[in-house]
Amino acid sequence: MHHFLKSIGKEFKKHAFDYLLFISVGICFLIALNIFRGERLIELILVVSFISFYIIWGIYHHIVENTLHLKVVMEYILIGFTLLFLLKIVILP
Amino acid sequence: MKGIFKHIHHLFIPKESNNFRARILHHDFLTIYLVAALMLTAGVSHYQSKQGSILGYATDISVNKLYELTNAQRASSNLQSLSYSDALAQAAQKKAEDMFAKNYWAHYGPAGETPWNFILSSGYQYEFAGENLAKNFLFSDGVVDAWMNSPTHRENLLRPDYTDVGFAIVNGVLNGEETTLVVQMFGKPLYVAQDTAPQQTDTEVAVKEVETEATAPEVIQNPESMEQIAQAAPAQDTKVLASQNQTNFYPVFFNMNLIFFLVLAGALALDFYFASKLNLVQLKGKHVIHFMFIGFITVGLFILANGNIL
Repeated sequence: MHHFLKSIGKEFKKHAFDYLLFISVGICFLIALNIFRGERLIELILVVSFISFYIIWGIYHHIVENTLHLKVVMEYILIGFTLLFLLKIVILP
Repeated sequence: MKGIFKHIHHLFIPKESNNFRARILHHDFLTIYLVAALMLTAGVSHYQSKQGSILGYATDISVNKLYELTNAQRASSNLQSLSYSDALAQAAQKKAEDMFAKNYWAHYGPAGETPWNFILSSGYQYEFAGENLAKNFLFSDGVVDAWMNSPTHRENLLRPDYTDVGFAIVNGVLNGEETTLVVQMFGKPLYVAQDTAPQQTDTEVAVKEVETEATAPEVIQNPESMEQIAQAAPAQDTKVLASQNQTNFYPVFFNMNLIFFLVLAGALALDFYFASKLNLVQLKGKHVIHFMFIGFITVGLFILANGNIL
């Protein structure tokens, strides 16, 4: 557990701006979803925007870290799109 | 048993056999999830096109459940249960159809239609009447909870003057969006002097400000989603709602999503833990961000299950 917490702390410290940016956008995403509850089209736009941001964040972060690779980009895309399709069924069935 | 344990270990814990990465996070597995999600989306769309849009399918809301939950809320406040009224249900149905036909989401229609018009035209002469509206909820519990969390809707739902209630759940297209509307109509019949004009002054508690978005009228009615109501034993002065022809798709799908998110997040946490413990250096995405992303999406899923009330 010590390694785990230490690694997380280290990671956050190293890329504080990136993580704070992601958390801020995530919170804004949830607030916006709450405001536009029941507006299906806007909900879909918000979800697509947040997932796009997640993929772009990944690419940007790995460029900065100099670890960008197609495999890494694919990982973000696969996870992002899987969750997008699952949420799409809930929003616009 | 040992084999199963080994297999689970192989799926979740980074070790030599899985190239030091939880197997369920490998690209081939991630691709399988994506393909499965894509097929599910296509399957749902195909099912709906066969069914004729979203009719009777888009939500897990049922009149039975709404009726049961409404009375449960009233019982917990020591209020009398409401009887199910065909006339109020008919009024609610007409109101929902009118909102779709004239493309508005409000208590009052663009031409000045009031909820009381629909109630009176259904043959229900009222002493007191009220209306609650909801749209695009996934579950009946969400609808009633949202009403209970709003002071004005709560007041309406728990008003001691009411004796009857009627519901309509109608799917259609509102402002260009496929929408599920729930209309709840309350009333107390005017027993004395049936032929006198209804006392509309007593009805204001139900109605809040109008936010008319209506423009050109466009469609869509949903006769299939009309609730079916069966008469209960004559000795009781209530009516029992017959079960609706609804699938259990949404609750199952919702829970499946939650389990999937949990498994994925668990695998990421384990992978991150062992990778940091073993000091593994791998070319991969950031587990912390995947984890947070799944967390935000999970919270979002709960928000998406709730719609809007008026």
